[in-house]
Amino acid sequence: MAEPILEVRGLVKHYPLTTGILFKKQVGAVKAVDGVDFHLDRGETLGIVGESGCGKSTVAKMLVNLERPTAGEIRYKGEDITRLSGRALKAVRRNIQMVFQDPYTSLNPRMTVGDIIGEAYEIHPEAAPKGDRRARVRELLDVVGLNPEYINRYPHQFSGGQRQRIGIARGLALRPEIIVADEPVSALDVSVQAQVINLMGRLQDEFDLSYLFIAHDLSIVRHISDRVGVMYLGRIVETGRDAEIYDHPTHPYTQALLSAVPVPDPEARERRERIILTGDVPSPTNIPSGCRFRTRCWKARERCALEVPALAVPAEFRYARGPAAHDSACHFAEEKRVVPPAEEGAGPVQGPSPGEGPFAEGEGPSAGGPGASEGEEPGTVGPRRRGAHREDGEGGADGG
Amino acid sequence: MPEQPYEPERAIAGTGMGGQMDLGASEAVTLEKPPGPDGAAPEDKPRSLWSDAWHDLRRNPVFLVSALVILFLVVISLWPSLIASGSPLKCDLAKAQEGSQPGHPFGFDGQGCDVYTRTVYGARTSVAVGVLATLGVALLGSVFGGLAGYFGGAGDAVLSRITDVFFAIPVVLGGLVLLSVITSNTVWPVIGFIVLLGWPQISRIARGSVITAKQNDYVQAARALGASHTRLLLRHIAPNAIAPVIVVATIALGTYISLEATLSFLGVGLKPPSVSWGIDISAASPYIRNAPHALLWPSGALAITVLAFIMLGDAVRDALDPKLR
Amino acid sequence: MLLEVRDLHVEFRTRDGVAKAVNGVSYGVDAGETLAVLGESGSGKSVTAQTIMGILDTPPGKVTGGQILFEGRDLLTLKEEERRKVRGAGMAMIFQDALSSLNPVLTVGDQLGEMFTVHRGMSRKDARAKAVELMDRVRIPGARERVRQYPHQFSGGMRQRIMIAMAIALEPRLVIADEPTTALDVTVQAQVMDLLAELRREYRMGLILITHDLGVVADVADRIAVMYAGRIVETAPVHDIYKAPAHPYTRGLLDSIPRLDQKGRQLYAIKGLPPSLTRIPPGCAFHPRCPMARDVCRTDVPPLYEVTDAPSERGSACHFWRECLHG
Repeated sequence: MAEPILEVRGLVKHYPLTTGILFKKQVGAVKAVDGVDFHLDRGETLGIVGESGCGKSTVAKMLVNLERPTAGEIRYKGEDITRLSGRALKAVRRNIQMVFQDPYTSLNPRMTVGDIIGEAYEIHPEAAPKGDRRARVRELLDVVGLNPEYINRYPHQFSGGQRQRIGIARGLALRPEIIVADEPVSALDVSVQAQVINLMGRLQDEFDLSYLFIAHDLSIVRHISDRVGVMYLGRIVETGRDAEIYDHPTHPYTQALLSAVPVPDPEARERRERIILTGDVPSPTNIPSGCRFRTRCWKARERCALEVPALAVPAEFRYARGPAAHDSACHFAEEKRVVPPAEEGAGPVQGPSPGEGPFAEGEGPSAGGPGASEGEEPGTVGPRRRGAHREDGEGGADGG
Repeated sequence: MPEQPYEPERAIAGTGMGGQMDLGASEAVTLEKPPGPDGAAPEDKPRSLWSDAWHDLRRNPVFLVSALVILFLVVISLWPSLIASGSPLKCDLAKAQEGSQPGHPFGFDGQGCDVYTRTVYGARTSVAVGVLATLGVALLGSVFGGLAGYFGGAGDAVLSRITDVFFAIPVVLGGLVLLSVITSNTVWPVIGFIVLLGWPQISRIARGSVITAKQNDYVQAARALGASHTRLLLRHIAPNAIAPVIVVATIALGTYISLEATLSFLGVGLKPPSVSWGIDISAASPYIRNAPHALLWPSGALAITVLAFIMLGDAVRDALDPKLR
Repeated sequence: MLLEVRDLHVEFRTRDGVAKAVNGVSYGVDAGETLAVLGESGSGKSVTAQTIMGILDTPPGKVTGGQILFEGRDLLTLKEEERRKVRGAGMAMIFQDALSSLNPVLTVGDQLGEMFTVHRGMSRKDARAKAVELMDRVRIPGARERVRQYPHQFSGGMRQRIMIAMAIALEPRLVIADEPTTALDVTVQAQVMDLLAELRREYRMGLILITHDLGVVADVADRIAVMYAGRIVETAPVHDIYKAPAHPYTRGLLDSIPRLDQKGRQLYAIKGLPPSLTRIPPGCAFHPRCPMARDVCRTDVPPLYEVTDAPSERGSACHFWRECLHG
């Protein structure tokens, strides 16, 4: 197996809690991330899901060096980047970029779009010769489906979805290999979310990107991820390929999480088993002993309070080759299907002749649509583009 | 085909501009960012906080009046001879306390000096002290406060305690003590004193505003790109943190002018033969019964000047911070 | 019918002209029924709710037409004082952000008790007992002790429960919940939705659930009204709409959400952006984004057609609803 492009081992981030004004005394710690391991292969998408406060955003910040880990290693192509500084750190930064959650606060309101995207080249002058930069920025705008003429505009002149495209263009400017996306669509409207997700999918193919995709929305994570890690209170509790996690979860927290997600299918209401967890997530300053999920777990026994379960394939599945044999940090792991399987071909919309009509996948709008947007569909899409999908709608519609 | 098909894309394309100004509004339900006038393509001119603020200020009568007053003050303090022909130091004791007469509209003070000329020349001191002290305070305060807010840590803790100490010093008492030992009769000791006592105020504002600005995601984004501290501070934080500093500094300018007058009145600021409204007010106060005009004019000028700067600061604050409206 | 909104129009004055937030919305809720009002930001779903509750900020908002019949009385013609009596006892509202909707300097017991001292004239002691009872009913553990705590001492899910307790305190006949679980984590969201559904059954309340989440709607609603640019574009019983939507917007929305139970391929994406409310396109407001749009859509505003092919009562504001319904 090829070496993963990114490998994280024993990553820890504790924020000390102190008292005193000038002479500080540590009285405790917020254990935001408390021993996280994962790897990311070239060209794949690893989804990290978890509820607020589980530490997923802190992991993202450590990967792009916005936070220094308290302990642990982040290996980029085999090299631990947590101890780098100066020039070596800057070089690594070119290759790991971030897309932020809130398109309203992640763009400097005092800078034009051209300056925002082009700043990458000012910081890394070796990435693009000076005379070439404006052209590159225009190209990037085009790639993310925005009109290159908008290079001199300010962020507030754009909608949320368009701003997120600008944020993505900024992330792409240095041609990174890895993009860490922290809830990139959760601030957007439903109809615009799909546009941005499709854009990210297309860019992954076009630029051979590896994504670490962090989100609380499990449906979106399944859609975009090859593998998924489920975080709870600073640790990954279960990880595996998307079908392993979604269709064959073995950790009780994953099962509860999945069963709680509302499914847009009223027929499923009766068929579904809901696991309603009691209580709230414990405070990260005071993590329960043993298994950190035991305070809310319906399976918890004495052993759970004494022994920390390791993230590994549980013993009962170790010799069975099947989707249940994936890493799960539970002493009493057992497979339980909580998301009812989709009926064959049961998309939310079932026309009498699937694949036809204006909504069929890959087909452009039927005749009579506002023609102006058609010819303007942001062109320069690479040769590896997946089909003639309609994800550029937003950019195209005002690309006139 | 209808006569005028609604085709936003094409309509906008025809003008060569984009139609995006309104999109923010459509997302935020209501009343935020303006599109252009109905139907017309919005102007492509980039709009920023400053241009929006200027747009508001131009229509604000408070701003217009105070700006006019200030402009007038600046002009007469640079070229007082434009409206006053005499010398403020040419006094004729024989005319002491006399009232208004041709050529001397404000009358004469206790020393027989022309009140009109002295009031005009007094503006120079006030404006110089106000502007220079504010510049010093703003510079010192925003550098210290900005750096403390940005880097945090021990430096920040020390600075915060130092500003606390300065806040505890009573201004007038401090002035009496510190300035009474200085013999130089120029505006500089007064400016220096105001800067010394004034910077902690700006420093606090700058610190808070930098702390707010540095938490923004765009600062994180620039850090993730590998931006240096200098770049982060100058390009991302300062432009987004400067507005409150400007507002407070403008309002403080007015109070510095009155502080100079106070100190001069008390005899520790400027001393005769310098010309200052404070000195004149002090000199005229014993004769308030016989020659109230000698007190009235410099006091009036002082009050109007201070008011103009405070009003300007208020108007600027309203324009820069729509939330306060 | 418990509540009936008839042809409601609401406008906002903005710097750039009149924003037509609600343009002729009609819907109704029966006692014991859950109506989901689905829409994206700017669709007018929250403004409609605020108008029903009588908490619309006027100005800049202004009701320019229509009726809101609550138990037969038109609320828009009532005096402010009578309207206030309807609020609380007749209808109540649950907001998205519980933290900012609760007063941070009063204990939750005081805030819950206030409902009884003000509306029912109870003594403070009785009101406190009632508050404890309510907190029990929304299943806040240790209600007797926690009644003396302040809002910030509760977690997000517990605060939302307190909001619900306040809403149901006077046993209103109608509850309007505006994105009640959007700010909550998914496991907590399920708890809160369950609680709401149970209380609705218990008190036979009508519930208007305002949301953008198609999943939540499928889980709890009986009927659904989809809003776009200040209009209702489709209304139907919840089972039917997911099976076969009769409006291209609903259809686009359903196609554009990724699903939990299957690995998605390319998502369908509705092109373009929702219109600015100051510049709503003529004809059908959705036509610039619609894959089925024809000439008539650019000129004629589609009325809410009755979808006659369906076995149940449904409506669609699309000239070509039949085509959409049948694929």
